[in-house]
Amino acid sequence: MRYFLIALIAIGLTACATKDNKKVEQQTWKGKGFTYYPAGYLKPSNSGRGRRGDNYIYAPNIRFPLAYAPAYINSQVYGIGGQFGPRGSLCDQRNYKYPWRDNYCEKRTRGMPLCPAGVGHQGVDIRAKDCRDNTHYAVAVEEGVITYIGSYSVKLRGTSGRTYRYLHLNSHSIQVRRGQRVWRGQKIGRVSDNMGKTKTSIHLHFDIKQTIRFGNYSKSVYVPPYTSLVDAYKRLLRGRP
Amino acid sequence: MRLLLTTLFLLSSLNADSGILDIKWPKPNLQQQKPSTPYPTVLTKGIKNTKLPIYIPSSFAYDEKMVVVADKNFYTISFLLQGATVMVSGDRTFQQSISTSNSDFQKMMKPSPTIEFMEEEGMRSANFNRHGVNYELSIECDKPKEDARCKEEDFLRKLYSKLIMVGGRP
Ligand SMILES: [Zn+2]
Repeated sequence: MRYFLIALIAIGLTACATKDNKKVEQQTWKGKGFTYYPAGYLKPSNSGRGRRGDNYIYAPNIRFPLAYAPAYINSQVYGIGGQFGPRGSLCDQRNYKYPWRDNYCEKRTRGMPLCPAGVGHQGVDIRAKDCRDNTHYAVAVEEGVITYIGSYSVKLRGTSGRTYRYLHLNSHSIQVRRGQRVWRGQKIGRVSDNMGKTKTSIHLHFDIKQTIRFGNYSKSVYVPPYTSLVDAYKRLLRGRP
Repeated sequence: MRLLLTTLFLLSSLNADSGILDIKWPKPNLQQQKPSTPYPTVLTKGIKNTKLPIYIPSSFAYDEKMVVVADKNFYTISFLLQGATVMVSGDRTFQQSISTSNSDFQKMMKPSPTIEFMEEEGMRSANFNRHGVNYELSIECDKPKEDARCKEEDFLRKLYSKLIMVGGRP
C-alpha cells in the first residue's frame, strides 16, 4: 500500500509539472482513437458540479457494461436533442463521438451525498455504438447474482458486494431472472428507452452502489463510476474485457 | 495545484479494504421472530442462512409471491404490486474503508440522519442503518411520473414505519 501511494504521489507530481498551467484537456489513449475528459468535468458549466480531482477507481477491474465498443459516455439531458441541450435529434451523430464526458452528479434533484451540490445524477448515461433501439446488449460487469428486476431497472450484486444498476433496458429483452447467478460478461438485456410506461431517451443508465466504512460507522452510497468505466473500456478495446 | 493536492489527499485516505461489518444484534424479540401465523416458506427458506436482522414491511409479510434473493451477508426481497415493485434489502459487507481524517467524507458520513429518503431515477428509496447494517427500502413504478407512490414520499414513509424484523440469526 505504501509503495502504491509513493508511486501515486510521484505520478501526481510529474503530471503537475507538465500540466499545471494547461487547461483541462481531453486525455488521449493510444487505442482505437478513444479520448475522454477527466472525471468530474461536466459540460456545459451550468449542468452541475462533478467531483473534480477524484480519480479514484471505486470499482476496480469491472467489465464494461456494454458488450461491444464503441460506446459513448456523455449527457442525455444537455447533449444534442436533450431536454436542456442544443436543438436537434438525440440520434445526432455528434452524440455518438469521443471524447467521453462524465455526467455523474449532473443536475438532478436526487439526494447524493458524494456530489458537491448534495444532489445530482446517481450514475452515468452511456450510449451504445449507435441509436438503434433494442439492439445492443448490456452485460454483467462482474460475476454475481441478479437481486432485483423492476419496471425498468435490473440490479446485479457482484461478488465484491457492490450493487450495479442497469436502467432502461427493453423489458422484453431481459435475459436474466431474480436470483439467477450470472458470470462476468453475461448478457442481461438490450439498451432501450424504457422508463416503465413512460419513455426516456435510448441509453443505458449505469450506477454503482457500495458501502463505505468510516470509523465505526458505515453508509451505502452511489460512488463515481466514470473512472472505473474508463478503465474497463480500455480493457474492452484491448480485447481483454 | 490545489486540485492535485486534493486528489492525492483523497486517494491517500481511501483504502480499498473490504470486509464484514459488526452487527449489534437487537435483544431477541420472540414475538417478532415467531409470529402466530408462520411466515410463508418462500421467506423462511430464503433467509435460512442469512446472518443479519431481516426487516420487511409488515403489510407484505404474508405475500406468497415475494421473491427472496439472499445469502450469508445480504438479502433482497421484492414484492410485486399493481403497477409497482417494492424492494427491501440489507447488506453487512463493506467495500471500502475511509480514514476519519478525510474531511471530504466527514460531512457525508455523519451518522445522522439515520434515515434518508431519496428520490432516485423515477423511483424512491429510504436508506438507513440499523444494528450496524445498511438497509434500503424502495419503490419503482410502471408510471413514475403519474403514480403517487413514486411521485410522493408518503407511501414509502408508511412502509418504512411498518418494517418488522422477521428473522435472521447471529
Ligand atoms: Zn442516468
